[in-house]
Parts: sequence; structure tokens; C-alpha cells
Amino acid sequence: MKAAILTDTTKCIGCNECVIACKKVNNLPPDAPRRWDRDDGLTARNWTSIVQGPSDSFVRKQCRHCLDPACVSACPVGALTKSPTGAVVYDSNKCMGCRYCMMACPYGIPRYEWDQVVPHVRKCILCNDRVAKGLQPACTEACPTQATIFGDRDELLSEAHRRIAAEPRLYHDKVWGESELGGASVIYISNVDLGFLTGAESLPATPVPTTTEHAMEAVPFAFTGAVAAMAGINWIITRRMKRQTGGPDE
Amino acid sequence: MDTWVEFGRGPLFRLAFSLMLLGLLRAVLLTLQNIAEAWFRCADKSLNIKSIVAETLAWLLPAGRLWRKRPVYSTISFLFHIGLIVVPLFLLAHIQLWRAAVGFAWPAIPAKAADWLTLLTILTGLALLIARIAGRRMRAISRTQDYLWPFLLVLPFLSGYLLSHASLSAAGYHRLMFIHVCSAALVMLLIPFTKIAHCVLLPFSQLATAIAWKFVPGSGDRVAATLGYAERPCWIPNARAEQAVQTPTPPEVVAK
Amino acid sequence: MNRLRRLKLVLWSITGLALAVATARFLFGLGPVTHLSDAFPWGLWIGFDVMGGVALAAGGFILTATVYIFHLERFHSIVRPAVATAFLGYAAVAVGLLFDLGLPWNIWHMLVFWNPHSPLFEVGWCVMLYLTVLLLEFLPVPTESLPKLRKLYCALLKVRLPLVILGIGLSTLHQSSLGSLFLIMPFRVHPLWYSPALPLLFLTSAIALGLMMVVFESHCTSYFYGREPETDTLASLGSVARYFLAGYLVLRFADLIIRGDAHYLAAPGWHTFLFWLEVTFIAVPALLFSLPRVRTSHSGQFAAAFLGVAGIVFNRIDVGGLAHLPAGAPFYFPAWTEIAITAGVVSTATLVFLFLIERFNVWEQRPVDPEAAPLEAPRFHPVGTTWLGTPAVASRTIYSLAFVLAAALGFALLAPRPAFSRGIPPQPVHRARGGDILWIDGNLNGYGVAFPHAKIEAKLGGDSSCVKCHHMNLPRDRNSGCYECHRDMYLPTDAFRHDWHAAASGANLSCNQCHTAAHPRTASNVKTCGQCHKDLIPPGATIQVKTYQTVGYVEAMHTLCIGCHVNLARQNNKPGFAQCTTCHKEPRPLDDAAAQPKTTGVGILLPAYAPK
Repeated sequence: MKAAILTDTTKCIGCNECVIACKKVNNLPPDAPRRWDRDDGLTARNWTSIVQGPSDSFVRKQCRHCLDPACVSACPVGALTKSPTGAVVYDSNKCMGCRYCMMACPYGIPRYEWDQVVPHVRKCILCNDRVAKGLQPACTEACPTQATIFGDRDELLSEAHRRIAAEPRLYHDKVWGESELGGASVIYISNVDLGFLTGAESLPATPVPTTTEHAMEAVPFAFTGAVAAMAGINWIITRRMKRQTGGPDE
Repeated sequence: MDTWVEFGRGPLFRLAFSLMLLGLLRAVLLTLQNIAEAWFRCADKSLNIKSIVAETLAWLLPAGRLWRKRPVYSTISFLFHIGLIVVPLFLLAHIQLWRAAVGFAWPAIPAKAADWLTLLTILTGLALLIARIAGRRMRAISRTQDYLWPFLLVLPFLSGYLLSHASLSAAGYHRLMFIHVCSAALVMLLIPFTKIAHCVLLPFSQLATAIAWKFVPGSGDRVAATLGYAERPCWIPNARAEQAVQTPTPPEVVAK
Repeated sequence: MNRLRRLKLVLWSITGLALAVATARFLFGLGPVTHLSDAFPWGLWIGFDVMGGVALAAGGFILTATVYIFHLERFHSIVRPAVATAFLGYAAVAVGLLFDLGLPWNIWHMLVFWNPHSPLFEVGWCVMLYLTVLLLEFLPVPTESLPKLRKLYCALLKVRLPLVILGIGLSTLHQSSLGSLFLIMPFRVHPLWYSPALPLLFLTSAIALGLMMVVFESHCTSYFYGREPETDTLASLGSVARYFLAGYLVLRFADLIIRGDAHYLAAPGWHTFLFWLEVTFIAVPALLFSLPRVRTSHSGQFAAAFLGVAGIVFNRIDVGGLAHLPAGAPFYFPAWTEIAITAGVVSTATLVFLFLIERFNVWEQRPVDPEAAPLEAPRFHPVGTTWLGTPAVASRTIYSLAFVLAAALGFALLAPRPAFSRGIPPQPVHRARGGDILWIDGNLNGYGVAFPHAKIEAKLGGDSSCVKCHHMNLPRDRNSGCYECHRDMYLPTDAFRHDWHAAASGANLSCNQCHTAAHPRTASNVKTCGQCHKDLIPPGATIQVKTYQTVGYVEAMHTLCIGCHVNLARQNNKPGFAQCTTCHKEPRPLDDAAAQPKTTGVGILLPAYAPK
């Protein structure tokens, strides 16, 4: 099963029960505004938040658990991995604190414990332990209106399309997270345009990591090329100099 | 006035305290490096470490040599040093400030003991000053800073004593607190650059002396003379006197 | 004091200041000493120390290639300083990175845990390997004069050619990969900088920068040591640099046009300004190096090289963070502490460089401090006529003094409250206004709650229900406003107010009235409030008061209201009842008539304002 979450913003009433449940299950301490906060309510101690979208809609923000995650591709030590259940999880024992994941994430999700002397990256982990035990994530369990539900990604996708087909006048004809940037495990349907979550009007279908991975594929060739070229030039020039002077220079 | 007190125990204290620690560290490192260089230069490399340690300890402990020579003076001086070191470090109020600032603390001495130690420090400090003024030999080797230091050291203790006895200081509490904080900061600022640096340099004085004995007295002056700096004054008083006898000194040097 | 000594004095002072800041950074973490944030996780330390530093050190691989591969022997005199600079530059990058990493003690993880997809992984490995290569390339300099290490010296000379080739390969890789780092951020880097050609652009500009850095550095040392700069050799470096600069500019604009983002060039705004500033700094030296008169002149070389170095380093800072567009985030500008660390790393590297060139034959003619006489005549204090010792002793005395003073100043400047607080500025709370309907808006930002006090009071049970909310009152008061004790929006505050209890004359006269135990006078062994003020906590109050600390206003309000609301929402199956918007309606201006106090019988008389 590919774990996924479908959030239907039309059903969200903004009660914050998911936020509270998340804090409770993950033992997150209480929070207060900090200098380094972004304006969306996500912090190192708040892994999900409700942001107010256009026309009084509530949109739950959390890690999208991309199918081809930029953070996983970026992390130089492999501290972030895509778990078998589909969650993008973090191994704090491997992390060295370079924060490249935070720079790479196209959705701007990972948060840092700036106030800690031993800081770690924090974000939603799709309640990986609970899901592995057969439970559902704390947030979807706590939601009183079923606005955010947990399930298999394919089933949730068909459910999303079913809802859109049933009420085409209510919903935008788009499932956010279905295909853009290679798709995500946390998908949305909404009556408002959710482009404001990323700041980009529409996202391309190619996953972000392909950009760097293409560049990385060229690395062995560039290295061999440079080394071979230098060795060749050196060989040619030394030979020519030997011919001219009858002996090596220096 | 509150703002001034805050300034005194905030930035001013941090400046003075860190300058004291780093300055003392610098003094130790420079001294050791200079000693090491001198040692590398002298021909005779032998060092009797055992006797150096024994000498150092003998002069450090009051029950040692000083006790036999000048019992009263050494007792007073020892008591003075006890109060000087113990009270600032182990007063409850100071420890509370540390706890608030850095989060950890250490055991304190009882307030009664702190009171008595403070009084003891003030009195012995004054006694040492009187001894310095009264003694002919001590007067002869005293500099200006030797007369100023007892006042400077007693000031924070006196103000601290008044502060902890509210009935004595209520009227000018904040002004007195400012004086207390500033005088303590001044003491800490001056420690690494004056004779109080002996608090860390003392253990090395016997070592330095041992190395210095390996050089002929006045050799520095001869080196200076060889290099053409004979007319420059040197800081070794004896050598300077010797030099004054041998060569006519320029008048401005005599004036100094 | 000559200019060299003045320079060293300044460098030592900066290093001292950086020591203080570094202590704070490792004691208190990144948040308090930097302006980095969740929106700007990378700042000056990555932009300048790492990306700029690596590019600045590019001179090493270029000159080794020129001399050992292309066998252009006239550059031989400047290859050693270039290698020394490169080595120190990379060492500085590594040290700078240690400050920036959140968990610097885990830096070795890159050796063990591999993720070959990550450009940062590749950069990290290349920098580590290249630092080793540079060390081996530089080691012949200090070992050549030591007979004991003759074997090592000969062995190093034998492997020099393979090392140089390896170094060129590694440099090509990571100079370009620093550009690849940003390929993964297409939505973050401004289109004027984001391009699939970033690796190529970075490599080209690094080569130009490396060449100009050699010129710049040669002129700097000649200024400080009074030595003749190699003007002719440097001129030919400059003439090569102009091609790379021009090529870089052509690439840059061609790339913009091909990508179809050329219209940003004219779009007014902060980023366009940054772009043109950067391009000007790069174009002017390209022009200057093309004029033969400027190229061969002393000051012309210096000016052109300085401008070019500044321009390309500026480009690295732009790409590294200044020209990023995170949605909904404030502007990033480095904190003074960040700048101090950067300056400290550079100063330390410079001091080591000066040490190396004075001790070893980095240049063919070893530069010496003009005032340090070979016989080391003793020095005297100009005023006090004190004997200061030999020049070496005298200078270490004064440099260490400068270092210690600057460090102490740094510790004094590191203000504990703004810098080391958890980042919440104190926000004093204002009283609610109104009688029947209270307008509760603690920080006066308009996003308040119109609280139907009379209605709720009636619903909860009339007069006897006060204690359900007013769990504690000021003495001689029956309904103290919440803001009286919860005095800050977010920070916990001292509900007790020691200053009110101290005597009017100043302090301490009446301590023993409360602190009945003689010592110590702490909060733990003092009379409790209730022992004097019998009416402080009304009988039947629902909330217990345990300490003298109160929670912040927002938390107090939210717990008090939301607790009941959530329960009621569950009981009556009305989920909307616990929504934020149930209470927080649209913002209201402060002069809204509906929110103005309606004077009713609820007179609030506070002892603080009431004369005795």
C-alpha cells in the first residue's frame, strides 16, 4: 500500500483538531511566535497547520511526501528517505545540519530548530510508526468532518475524481498532487485555486530532482574528460619541448 | 539609575569578566613563551624542577617561610586573600545572578559567614595598607598602584556589605549598587594588566627566577650597548644605577 | 608602526571579535546569533564563506595547470603563492562550513553515508579531496629547507604532475557543481540567476575570478611588504581573464535570451538592481583589462582585479541567498554576528598566509617586515621608554592585547536578551474595552474578540459564576482584568511584581516582612500571597495558582475559552463552535463604535492606579 492523505478543503472548518492531535502524538512542545517563523504556521514544533486561503477557505498545510522528493535527492548524507509506506522520514542520527533539504523543497516545508544548540530538521513524517502498525495518522483520525482522510493513494485519487465528478460546480477540476512535480502522497481537492501554497501559478509535471540528477550523471564524464585532456596536453607539450631542446625542461 | 545598574551588570560586567579571563590567559601564555625562549637561548639547560616546585609551594603557603619571618603580616595577608577570593565567588546573590544568566549554579556559603568574611577583608586590607605606609622598607619598594590597589579592592566589598545590610543603605540603594557593580568591573578590567595578575602568574615566578639566574646580571645592557642602544634606559633598576655611575646619563632620563 | 603591522593589528582584532561570536554560536545555537530563518536557511556563511571562498581559491588549479601542464615557465614565480592561497582558501571554507552546519561534529558523515544523487555530496567529497591535494602540492614549500624531510620533499615532487592533474579534475567538478546545487531550486532562485547552465557559468566565472585573485593578492602583498609586483606576468593573467569575463557575460545574456527570461532585465525591482550591479562589476574589469595601458599599469591592474573579484563574489552571494524568492518571507540581511564570523575566518586565513610567506619561500624573494631588523634590535615603548623586547616579543605582546580586547568587546556587545531570547519580543498587553461586550484585543492589532461578557455571565450562572473565569483577583478587587497579570501576549510574566511590594523609598527596607527566614531571600522560602491578601483567590475558583509566574495572554485566553468551546462543540455536535472564526471575526479598527466602551456599572478600580 502507498499511504496517502486526501484533504478536501471544502469540508475543512479550521478547527485545528488535526494540529492538536499531531502535537500530542508526536510529543511536540508548545509553541510561540519566533523570529525565524514563516507566515504559514508551520514550525519545528508544528508539523501541520491550517492556513486561510482565498474566500475564507481553510487549507491544511503539511509535508506533501512527494513520490520523487527533492529533499531526499538533495540530502548529502541520506538522512531523509522515502520509507516503504510512502512517507518521507528523517534520521536525525545521520543529519549534519546543512539545511540543503530546506532549500530544495519546492513546497518550503522542512523547518529547523533554530533555538536549539543541537538542532534538527523537523517536518511531518506521515505518522510513519502508526502507519506501520496499521493505524492511521493522528491528524486524519482527529478530523471531525472527514475533511482529511487517509488511505491508499490510488483509491484516494479515484475518490477525489469521484467527488469532483459528482459536484463539478463546487470543485476545481484538478487534484493537486496527482501529477505535478512527479506527484505527491498528500493530495488536495478544493473549491479555490491552491497555487498560493507554492507561490507558483502551475507546477510542471517533471520532478524537481531530475534537474540535479542529470547534472550529477555528467560528473564522471566531466572528471575523466578534464583529467584526460590535461594528461594529453601535458604529453604533447613535453614531447614537443623534448624535441626542441633535446631534454626535459627545468 | 536602574538602566545604569543594568548596564553595569550586563555589558560592562561581560566586558570586564571576559577581559579578565582572556587577559589572564594571555598573561600566562606570554609569560610561558618568554620563559621558554629565554630557556632555549641560555647555554645551561639544566632546571631543578623539584626545587622550583618546592620553593613555589613554600612561598604560597602561609605556614611556610613567610610565617617564620613575619608571622603577623603573613596572617593578615592570608586572611585578606581568603575573603578576597571566597566572597565574590560563593556569595548567594552572585550565584543567583549566574544561575539566571547561564543556567547553572554551585553551593553558596552562609550569609553570616559572607558578612564576617567581607568585614575581615575590609579590615585586613586597611591593615595591609597601613603596614605599607608605616614600614620604611616597604615604602621604598612601593609604587603608586601599590597604594591605590587596597582602596580599589576594598570598594566593592564595602559597597557590597552596605547593600546586603539594607538598614544601612536604603536611601541610596541604587546609587550604591551602581558603585558596587562599577568598582567590581574596574577591578576585573585592571587585574590582567597590573600586579594583581600575580593570581595566575605566581606559580611561574620561581621558574622565571630560576631561568633568570642563568644570565649574567646586566647582560641585557651589554647587549643593548653592543647594538648601539647604550643611552636607552633599561628597566632593571640595578643595572640602570650601574649605568648611571659608568656613563653620564642624559638629563631627561634622570628626571624620570 | 608601519602598514603591515597596522594590518596585522586589525586582523588580530577581527579574529578576537569573531572568537567571542563563535563562542556564542556554539553555546546558544544558530537562531540567536544569525538572521537565518525557515525562509532563508542559507545566508552569508554559505554565500560568501563557502561559495565565494571556493571560487576565490580557483587560482590554485588554474596556475598549476598553466605552469605544470602548459609549461608556461614565466608564470612560475606566482604559482606558489597561488597554491598557498588556494590551500588556505579551502581550509577557510571548511572552517566556515563548521560554523554554518547545525551539527558540525557530524561533518564526517559524508564519508560514511552516501547519497550520490546530491550535488552537495559531490561538492563535499571534491572539497575534501582537493584540500588534501592542495596540502600535498603546498608541502614542498615548507619541507624544502628541512634536510630531515628531504625524502618526503623528493617524493612530493615526483607525484606533483599526477596531483596537479587530479586537482584540475576535482576543481572542474566542484566549481561547476556549486552551480548544480541550485538547479534543484527552480522556484526559489530568481529567473535572472536560475538557469540550467549554472554549472557552466560557475566554472567560467571561477576561472576568471581565480586569475584576478592572483593579481589582486600579488598587489596587496607588494603594498604591505614594499616588494615589486610582477606587473608583466600579472598583465598577461589579466589579458586571459578578460576573455573569460567576456565569455561569461556572453554566456549569461545568451542564456537569458534563449530561456526567454530576458524581459526580467528591464523589470524594475530589487532583483533587477542586484543583477545589473553584478554585471557592471564584471563588465568593467573585462573592459579595463582590454586597454593595454591600464593592463600594464600598477593601479589599473589592482582596480580591475578588485572590481572583478568583488563582482563575481557578489554573484555567489546573490545565487547563494540574496536573490532568492521564498514566498511570504521577510528580507534577509546578515546579522553583525554573521559578518563578524565571516570576517574572522578571512582574517585568520590572511594571518596564516602572512605567516607562511614570511617563514617560507612562497615567493622567490621572501618578503620581510621592513621594520623587523635582521639583528632583532630591542624595541622601546615610545612614551614609557619601557623595554619591549625584540620585535617578535613586542609584536606578540601588542597583537595578543588587541585580540583579547576585541574578544572582550565582542562578549560585551553580544546582548543576551535580543540575541539569546527565544526570538519573541515582549509585547505588552492592553486591557479589554467595553462593559456588556468586551473588545478583547491584547496587542491592539484589530484581530480581537468581541466577548459578550454579560451574556456569558448570565449563561454561566449570574453573579456566582465570576470565579469560573476570574480565578484570582488583585487585593480589594472582585473582577481584575486578565491583562493585569497576563501582561505579555506570549511571554510568561511575573504575576507578583516585586517592585510594587518593595518600600517606596527604594528597596530592601521591609524585606523581612515577607522574607521571614533570614537567608537566603529567594522565592522558595517566602510568605505566600494568600498569607497577607486573604481575598486574592476567591472561594470556588476553578484554576489553581501554583507559582508567581503567569502564562502569556494569548495562551491564557485560549485555554480558558477554547477548553469550554471544544467540550460544548462535542456535546452539542456543533463542530463550528470551536472554529477560530467563531470568536475572531473580521478585524476591527480601534475606533470602531461598536467596540467602544459602553460605561456600565462594571467599575474596574485597580489598586495600582488608586491613590492610597
